[in-house]
Amino acid sequence: MSDEDTIGAGDRQDLTAAEYVLGVLGAEERRRAEFRIASEPRFAAEVAYWEARLGRLADGVPAVAPPATVWDGIEARLSASLKVPAERGGIWQSLAFWRTFAIASTALAAASLAGLVYLAQVPSLGPPLLATLNAESGQASFVAAVNKGGDSLTIVPAALLSGDQQKAFELWLIPPGDKPHSLGLIDPTKPVRITVPEALLPQVNRDAVLAVSLEPPGGSPTGQPTGPVIANGKLASL
Amino acid sequence: MDAETRRRQLVAAINRVAGGDRAALRLVYSGTSAKLFGVCLRILGDRSEAEDVLQDVYLTVWRKAASFDEGVASPITWLVAIARNRSIDRLRSSAASRAHAPLEAAAEVPDAGLSALERIEIGEDQARLKNCLQELEERQSAAIRSAFLDGFTYEELAERNRVPLGTMKSWIRRGLLKLRACLER
Repeated sequence: MSDEDTIGAGDRQDLTAAEYVLGVLGAEERRRAEFRIASEPRFAAEVAYWEARLGRLADGVPAVAPPATVWDGIEARLSASLKVPAERGGIWQSLAFWRTFAIASTALAAASLAGLVYLAQVPSLGPPLLATLNAESGQASFVAAVNKGGDSLTIVPAALLSGDQQKAFELWLIPPGDKPHSLGLIDPTKPVRITVPEALLPQVNRDAVLAVSLEPPGGSPTGQPTGPVIANGKLASL
Repeated sequence: MDAETRRRQLVAAINRVAGGDRAALRLVYSGTSAKLFGVCLRILGDRSEAEDVLQDVYLTVWRKAASFDEGVASPITWLVAIARNRSIDRLRSSAASRAHAPLEAAAEVPDAGLSALERIEIGEDQARLKNCLQELEERQSAAIRSAFLDGFTYEELAERNRVPLGTMKSWIRRGLLKLRACLER
């Protein structure tokens, strides 16, 4: 019996969810599938379907008690988690994660602050908006200034960040009571100018919060922060 | 305590984790870590890697508990999916080859040794999956089991079975299509 003909292009497309759950896809294909889970409800439902069905295969895997050091490690990593004020909402609670981060002040900080003060003094329509994005320690990690005209901003590292080199640094704008909106990837080693998408322009005001999260290379696959938030701060007038 | 009560407690604990309750995370961990460690260990084949990934698994649970939806997945299904995804991602990210379990081992799906918690969820679902897998050609069901339990890619499965990549993809895809048709009957 040959059922070669029964596998049409449509079926192949459908099977991506099953292949993702089965685990036969490579790293790149997995990232693409995860993006679809976040953006296509039908695809997400398909993944849930296969997880519920194929998941039964795991029933036969014998349980093995892990050593106590595993829980100790979890506790230690939780204790290092970012504490954020409650008014920033649930997502920040759930994102409140820290990896070990070495943050060292350098001459870089002084230089970037000087540059920003200059930027902020450029005549503009209203009082310049600035934000200092602090790490959990309270130390400034980034400083951001809304540029003249209000349609772009410059973000400058205020401290030398070292840590996970595999991660991308993504900047988010969080209007009050709203979810984070991505402003794109930034460079932790040099100033970056970010153009604010037109739809977000009205949200760039003194009530909004800017935050930086660590994401997989290329940025968050879901359109929402998926990694630890390493710094955040509110926009304010100078 | 019966299994249904334990399941309900697990759901309640996950919901509390979503609210930032660390004691609840400890409860979830106590009830499920041995199961999930077994799943990670099976895929990774290396104890210290599995211990490391298990930490990531519960940190992911902490972070994503708010997205757990009892209507979409049972708590064990949700947790096992996280454990498998974290383990597979670790495998894919480490270029180094891993400890290879013999392929034959993947074919065993023992029925014994299930916890009461699992048993409640199994019932008809597991019996149906088992029957449907039996309807597939042996090589199809063996490949599907091995992929799921050991986290092999198409390429690895093809190599280990000494068949061309296209043949392996075809076995698994046809197997999945038949499996879905059978499960929906």
